[in-house]
Amino acid sequence: MATDKELSDFLKSVEKRAFKRTAYTVRDEEAALDIVQDSMIRVAEKYAERPAEELPLIFQRILSNATMDWFRRQKVRNAVLVNLSEFEGADDDGGDFNLLELLDTSTTGTATESAADSVGRLQVLEIIDGEVARLPGRQREAFLLRYWEELDVAETAAVMGCSEGSVKTHCSRAVHSLAKALRAKGVSL
Amino acid sequence: MNRFSAEDARRTEALEARLGLRLAASLTALEVAKPDRDVNERLRFAREQALARGREARRTAAASSLHGARGGTAVMSGPDTNTPWWLRVSSVLPLALLLGGLIFIDHQYSRAQIEAAAEVDAAILADDLPPEAYRDAGFVEYLRSARQ
Repeated sequence: MATDKELSDFLKSVEKRAFKRTAYTVRDEEAALDIVQDSMIRVAEKYAERPAEELPLIFQRILSNATMDWFRRQKVRNAVLVNLSEFEGADDDGGDFNLLELLDTSTTGTATESAADSVGRLQVLEIIDGEVARLPGRQREAFLLRYWEELDVAETAAVMGCSEGSVKTHCSRAVHSLAKALRAKGVSL
Repeated sequence: MNRFSAEDARRTEALEARLGLRLAASLTALEVAKPDRDVNERLRFAREQALARGREARRTAAASSLHGARGGTAVMSGPDTNTPWWLRVSSVLPLALLLGGLIFIDHQYSRAQIEAAAEVDAAILADDLPPEAYRDAGFVEYLRSARQ
């Protein structure tokens, strides 16, 4: 069972990322704050008795469900699904683009520093943020859960309600899309 | 060929993961470099509210379970050793009385039926007419016309 402090520390550690992830999806800061707060309340009220190590997965599931509930309430779910299906069709993210070109430049720390110096560190970060926001919904969800929340493939699949294969595909496409978009803007990591 | 493809896929997957983690780290870096103080403050408030609601829910659940446990003991007269023996007996007494009453009523009813059957049998046997007479259609017709 998670203690009050463990629960508090856990929520503190995830709240900002949860907000950002939700804001990416609903594109409305007020709504994102409401969704995160509702999710935190649900965890605190109903799942505080669970072991602390189970909380991340539980919270991410609750947050995803709360976000979907918000879309249902807004009666825009159909529009979202249409958008998602369009995004699923965008299959040419990987295409002929060679991921290794960008990844090779990302193997050294000095490359990171020089890129940050030339473009301006904050500007680079904002460009990355913008490109993540532009990712198709499912790809962004998989990308953020896998690499930002650092869930494993099985956990991400459980949160997203899809197969592990789909998670891998979404993640791969997301990374390729980001790499391609960033290269097009002259950003290297 | 297949082995090469599998290794190639693994290598690509690893590179994707490295790039993915680096990009995700950039998002964290952006949060640190450009924090939204208003949002952070509201998140802090939301968290405190959630924790308070959680504490309240647990307190309510604990109180209701304690109340439920006490109620259950009183009704069932369970393992509470503080309850006097006469109180425990008195809680079972109405049930025992009801059961006894039902058995008595059943016994009385059966006895009344047996006595009624015996009376009918005795009347038939004591009559001048033999019981076979009632099976005769002509005699039944005679009785009916005599009644009219």
